[in-house]
Amino acid sequence: MRLNLYEDKNNFEEHVDVYYANMRPVIRQIIDSVNSERPSLQGRPADEDLDDGEVVILDPKEIYYLDHLDRKLFAYTKDGVFRLMNTLSSCEEMLWNYGFVRVSKSNLINIYKIRQLKPDLNMKVYAFFDNGERICINRSYKKSFNEYLQRMRRMN
Amino acid sequence: MGARIKEYLLELCCAYTFVSVLGAVVNLIGGKETNNINVLVMFASCAIATFVLFLHNLFDSVSPLVMIIVQYLAACVLVGLMLLIISHFVSPITPRGWFEYYRSFTIPYVVLAAYYYYRVFSDARKQSSIIREIQEKQMTEKRSA
Repeated sequence: MRLNLYEDKNNFEEHVDVYYANMRPVIRQIIDSVNSERPSLQGRPADEDLDDGEVVILDPKEIYYLDHLDRKLFAYTKDGVFRLMNTLSSCEEMLWNYGFVRVSKSNLINIYKIRQLKPDLNMKVYAFFDNGERICINRSYKKSFNEYLQRMRRMN
Repeated sequence: MGARIKEYLLELCCAYTFVSVLGAVVNLIGGKETNNINVLVMFASCAIATFVLFLHNLFDSVSPLVMIIVQYLAACVLVGLMLLIISHFVSPITPRGWFEYYRSFTIPYVVLAAYYYYRVFSDARKQSSIIREIQEKQMTEKRSA
């Protein structure tokens, strides 16, 4: 994608024009950024020893997957595990354009962080991530997962 | 519950229609004739098969392999009950008859289970390649930006 920047000191109405062939996730992300709606998740380290009370801003791109456990939501990143204050369904809605898809009642995974999908001998299908962890893709979410991948492929 | 029963009956109707039409075609080609008891057994078999397959929602938390085995065992029990009823009220079934019946439902079950097994692996491979494609496209887009 070509990026043109024009500096005009006399311009009092700054604006951004986006020319696109089709509405792909990357275009949506640009729109979100311009509208200052780019999602960022706020969390605190899940490990209490590391929690100094500071809120950490998480970029969705850094998250491998979200896990809802004991009514708490955790984000797994390269730098560790963070507890989020959002709900899983609000994250699902917010991160739709950022490669996040629901694969079970309690997991939302980032497809850009998947190394491969692999079934084991008892036919459960797992998504393996760059960090070596794995999440099971539940059978009842298989259809919607497949539809999401097809949609993302068409849109990209 | 009402909706589930409705769904079950609908699937049972489809399964029975399919099996009876297939049976009629096979009989037509083979020149064999069937009787009312055979038709009823065919219907009962369809009811059992549809019921057993309908249980799959209960096994969401277990692996598909466990689900297939449990469904097979449930089908065995129900078929056993059906054969007991037939042998008690209609006509006695010889051990050979029992064996033949179990064999005739085990073979398609194993074939379909094997096909399901194959589909799980091939679908995962396909999805993996789609994910790679999406990731590569995103990388290309990032680089060109």
